[in-house]
Amino acid sequence: MTLNLFYFLSFLAVLSALMVVFSKNPVYSVLYLIITFFTIAGHYILLDAQFLAVVHVIVYAGAIMVLFLYVIMLLNLNRESEPHKSNILKFAAVICAGLLLVVLVGSLKGTEAIVQQSGKAGIGYVKTLGEVMFKEFLLPFEITSILLLAAMVGAVMLGKSEKTNDTI
Amino acid sequence: MVNTEFLISLVPLFPLLGFLIVALNVRRLSHGVTAFIACGAILLSFITSVVLFTKLLSAPEAERSITVTLYQWFAAGSFSANISFLLDPLSSLFLLIITGVGFLIHVYSIGYMHDDKGFNRFFSYLNLFVFFMLLLVMGSNYLLMFVGWEGVGLCSYLLIGFWFKNQNYNDAANKAFIMNRVGDLGLLIGIVLIAWKFGSISYPDVFANALQNSEALKSHGILITWITMLLFVGAMGKSAQIPLYTWLPDAMAGPTPVSALIHAATMVTAGIYMIARNNVLYAMAPATLTVVMIVGLATAIFAATIALKQNDIKKVLAYSTVSQLGLMFLALGLGAFTAGIFHMATHAFFKALLFLGAGSVIHALGNEQDIRNMGGLKKYLPVTYMTFLIGVLAISGIPPFAGFFSKDEILANAFAQNKIVWVLAVGASLLTAFYMFRLFFLTFFGKERASHEKMHHIHESPKSILIPLIVLAILSLAGGFMGVPEVLHGSHWLSHYLAPVFASSTQFLAHHDHLSHATEYALMGGIVGATIILIIFAYSRYAKNNHVPATDETTTGLQRVLMNKYYIDELYNAIIVKPLYHISAVFEAFIERLGIDKLVNASGSFVVWGSRTARLLQNGSIGYYIFIMVIGIVLILVANNLK
Amino acid sequence: MNRSDLYSLTPLLILSSAAILNFFSISIKRNHKVIFAITVLSLIGDFIFLTSYSLYHQQHIDPLLVVDGFGIFNIGLILLTTLVVALMSYAYFEQREERKEEYYILLILAALGACIMVISKHFVSFFLGLEVLSVSLYSLIAYLRTRERSDEAGIKYLILAAFSSAFLLFGMSLIYATTGKMDFGGIGYYLTTTQDIPLIMMAGLGMLIVGAGFKLGVVPFHMWTPDVYEGAPTPVTAFIATVSKGGMIALLVRFFNAINGYQYESFTNLFTVLSIASMFVGNILALRQTNLKRILAYSSISHIGYLLVAFLSGGSMGAQATTFYLVAYFITTLGAFGIIATLSDQHRDAELIDDYRGLLWRRPLTAVAFSAMLLSLAGIPLTAGFIAKFYVITAGIGTQHWLLVFCLVVNSVIGLYYYIKIIAVMFDQKLQIKSAKELHPLVYVISSVTIAVLAVFLFWLGVSPEGMLSLIDDVI
Repeated sequence: MTLNLFYFLSFLAVLSALMVVFSKNPVYSVLYLIITFFTIAGHYILLDAQFLAVVHVIVYAGAIMVLFLYVIMLLNLNRESEPHKSNILKFAAVICAGLLLVVLVGSLKGTEAIVQQSGKAGIGYVKTLGEVMFKEFLLPFEITSILLLAAMVGAVMLGKSEKTNDTI
Repeated sequence: MVNTEFLISLVPLFPLLGFLIVALNVRRLSHGVTAFIACGAILLSFITSVVLFTKLLSAPEAERSITVTLYQWFAAGSFSANISFLLDPLSSLFLLIITGVGFLIHVYSIGYMHDDKGFNRFFSYLNLFVFFMLLLVMGSNYLLMFVGWEGVGLCSYLLIGFWFKNQNYNDAANKAFIMNRVGDLGLLIGIVLIAWKFGSISYPDVFANALQNSEALKSHGILITWITMLLFVGAMGKSAQIPLYTWLPDAMAGPTPVSALIHAATMVTAGIYMIARNNVLYAMAPATLTVVMIVGLATAIFAATIALKQNDIKKVLAYSTVSQLGLMFLALGLGAFTAGIFHMATHAFFKALLFLGAGSVIHALGNEQDIRNMGGLKKYLPVTYMTFLIGVLAISGIPPFAGFFSKDEILANAFAQNKIVWVLAVGASLLTAFYMFRLFFLTFFGKERASHEKMHHIHESPKSILIPLIVLAILSLAGGFMGVPEVLHGSHWLSHYLAPVFASSTQFLAHHDHLSHATEYALMGGIVGATIILIIFAYSRYAKNNHVPATDETTTGLQRVLMNKYYIDELYNAIIVKPLYHISAVFEAFIERLGIDKLVNASGSFVVWGSRTARLLQNGSIGYYIFIMVIGIVLILVANNLK
Repeated sequence: MNRSDLYSLTPLLILSSAAILNFFSISIKRNHKVIFAITVLSLIGDFIFLTSYSLYHQQHIDPLLVVDGFGIFNIGLILLTTLVVALMSYAYFEQREERKEEYYILLILAALGACIMVISKHFVSFFLGLEVLSVSLYSLIAYLRTRERSDEAGIKYLILAAFSSAFLLFGMSLIYATTGKMDFGGIGYYLTTTQDIPLIMMAGLGMLIVGAGFKLGVVPFHMWTPDVYEGAPTPVTAFIATVSKGGMIALLVRFFNAINGYQYESFTNLFTVLSIASMFVGNILALRQTNLKRILAYSSISHIGYLLVAFLSGGSMGAQATTFYLVAYFITTLGAFGIIATLSDQHRDAELIDDYRGLLWRRPLTAVAFSAMLLSLAGIPLTAGFIAKFYVITAGIGTQHWLLVFCLVVNSVIGLYYYIKIIAVMFDQKLQIKSAKELHPLVYVISSVTIAVLAVFLFWLGVSPEGMLSLIDDVI
């Protein structure tokens, strides 16, 4: 049952990811991307990582994708504004991506998962995660805050309009 | 001996101080003060060198090698490099020449450069050059020598391009520097190989080690051959041998004193010094010695033929320098190290003299360098004429001038070893006599071909120019007597003096029988006779019959080839410079243009942020970058998976 | 986390506090001088604090970080470099209209990211450090928004960096999938237990190299370098060329020593190819450039190629050569960009070769200093660059990487050509009048003194490198 579910989700994920690329209309692309995120969240659940799945849906499908939609609407992108790409470039890109796929599949094929399942029940629960994050991995957690700080300063700095020179 | 050690470190210190004082006050000092400091520094160095020289002479033979260590420079891996100086007969001889001739040329420059705007700058460079040159010959390890080696290259770059006024001078300077660097890198690899093989880079250690393992080194000859070959590549660059010689004639763009000091007397002989210093290693590598000999011989002939048709007074001298250097390498290649050094010393005298004399002529004629526009200068420039004549006689090998003894020694060695080499070397030497006298007669004899305006202003040079000329003329006259061969009832003082340096290498060299006195007399007589016949021929052609070389357009055939220096520069351009530029252009076309330039050209003027960003994303240039990256990734993964 | 852990992490804490302090200072009043003072003082203070550590200090903050001599040395290097960048930034930004204050916050945070990287011994801290560095750099590169190429450069860097980060993460996860470990020691231990590395792990390591190669700008991941170098404000370019690349090199050294990567021929071959390609492509592309920042960008590509030669030699000699090369490269690069920054005016950077025509006659000392930097890049004796290159060649020959050494030598000659070209232009006698807005004299004093100090260091390391070498010897 799990295996079937896995195949179904994977199929859906790959299909919608392809559709993201192939859709002419950017809004459709974003919608397909949301589907992709949902299917990946499904994978997380299969892997017993419920918290991650929920966060994934909230952050990516919820917040980020909505932002994307807004930007697309504000910039008024549509089918016509898509730039013309030469066929040679497309062809080269396909060849290139195909090669990458082949190589990756080649290196991943035939390798059994080596890492031992920890087998701990409830590994994906908030409690377990919190314990790891605030005990063993407290330091990276703090570093992440610095990362966010840097991103925030940068975003504010770049996003602000030019004229306000002397006040914040 | 503490005293001696102190003196040794003083020798390079004076020029360094001179450089620092002048360079730091380059805008403040008056010309007189600068000249005083710069010349004084070299004079002090010279006096110190003389004192050291006498000390060496009075010391017993075994103690004629003194090493002074100032401090440890750095340690890399198993070996360490020190800042330390080595004084032995070989380096002391070089010290005398560098500081002595250097001093004379400094004095000469006072007169030559007196109204140049860059007077102070010029003298600071000269002092710096002397400092590096001293470092080169005094360093007691390879790396210090290399520092000096690069340093003189740098100073030569600065001095060639001293009048950075036009592009040709800049190009000449660049060419000199880059060609030298090609050689230098060979040298550097050689040094690293030595460090790797012998675990040390100081001369005494390396030579001792090499002598100890001489059997092993000789049986696996490939390594020692490589080392010596790479060192020789360095010598080729610095001493302008085939194929790295084309920079030297171009280097004549610099002021004439520079040509005399750097490109005749001192820097270009660095290669000779280096091979002589490493005589032990070279003696163990017969293959390299043969290469040195062949390259030297080829260069000697090749450059001499080019010199036949040059019409620029300095170019003739430049090619003659290249040719004479070739003769020195020939001597070294024959294993006759003393003969090579001997010729180096006499050559320093007479070639410096010739260059300075040429400078005096150029000065008198208001920067005219073409000998077709000279002629008949004998009566206007009597001192220059007389000294120049001595120089020409010396280089042509007329007894008893300096060049005769040293050249004769080389030729005798060649005769003893290989008759064909001897024939070719004699040919080069005869060519030398011919083109030098051609130059001489065209300049000082015959009709006055300079414009009236120039003849009107013509004047003998000031004292500061003439005195060095006279001193050098005396040296060119008498310099040969330090090595009068046995056959002429001399004792060959020089070979005794240098004997300790070359002692350990003699065992590896093939022994050749001494020529009988009769043969030697016959050889000397024959060559001198042939030389004199050629001189007479030159006299009748250029002085009496007023034959003036044709203008560039009317020359044909071989003459044209000679005049264009066998088109070597063009060849280099075609096979090295152009392809590199083409590769660069192709890279640029494919990588740059496709991506960035298209974008830049399209964007042109300022556009609003949004559209620019959008265009940026749509342009595909990032896609293109990612494209390249993905190809890279695929290759890496494939490579990894193949194992 | 205990007290000694905290003690070892104090340098990082000082840096983050400095950033926060700058924050508050901005919220009270925007004042370039104050922010600058805070930044400089905290960097100096941090460095002084760092010197209180013993070189044999060794503190494992499990599982992520290790503060050892090597790490301390590199942190010190990063702090000093950032200090120099900050010093040269003042004059550069003072004459511009844009807000200048946030710049220092981002600069400090970027330095912090690099510091985390060099003491990492775990993928998590590695990645976080890298991202802190990258995210700060995105905005730093695009900082001067009104300039034409600035945001272009920022966005290019963002997209490409994100792309390479994705591969990095993928590679890490593949390695984790194989070994079950994310710390370098654990991975190394795993490798000792297996005969040959499974394919999946090889793929993971390859992707790690992609991520690292992007940061270093080695061919074929170098495409961003010229654009970003050109578009970014000059001090930021200096920062990217030094701290960002140096941090990655330090991390690579640590990682490869932990997993003993030198024994795997496929890796050394891979790096050999990357190194040779970088040397050639960098130098050949630089030949025809007329934009100084692009020349330096291409030259940095080839310098990373040289560095990889030392890196490939492995062992203590290789690590020593790498570190020394890094130090010499930092000094010269900072000096070169510092000079570009001081010559820039408020509208554009002094990035065209023609801006330097006849510089010797206008500003002799600057020209001499610049020539010294270029000669050091070319590896002429008595400069730090020569000792560094000699070391690299010695290391290369010691491990018999003949091909690499040969390529290095050939490229040194090619490289010399464009360095000399710049010097020749500076010595050109054609005078060019250039007017720049008169700044407060102190501004010039700061920049000039900084450059002078760098030049002195350059020669000091060339003439008497023993002190630095023994220091490096001690920390390795």
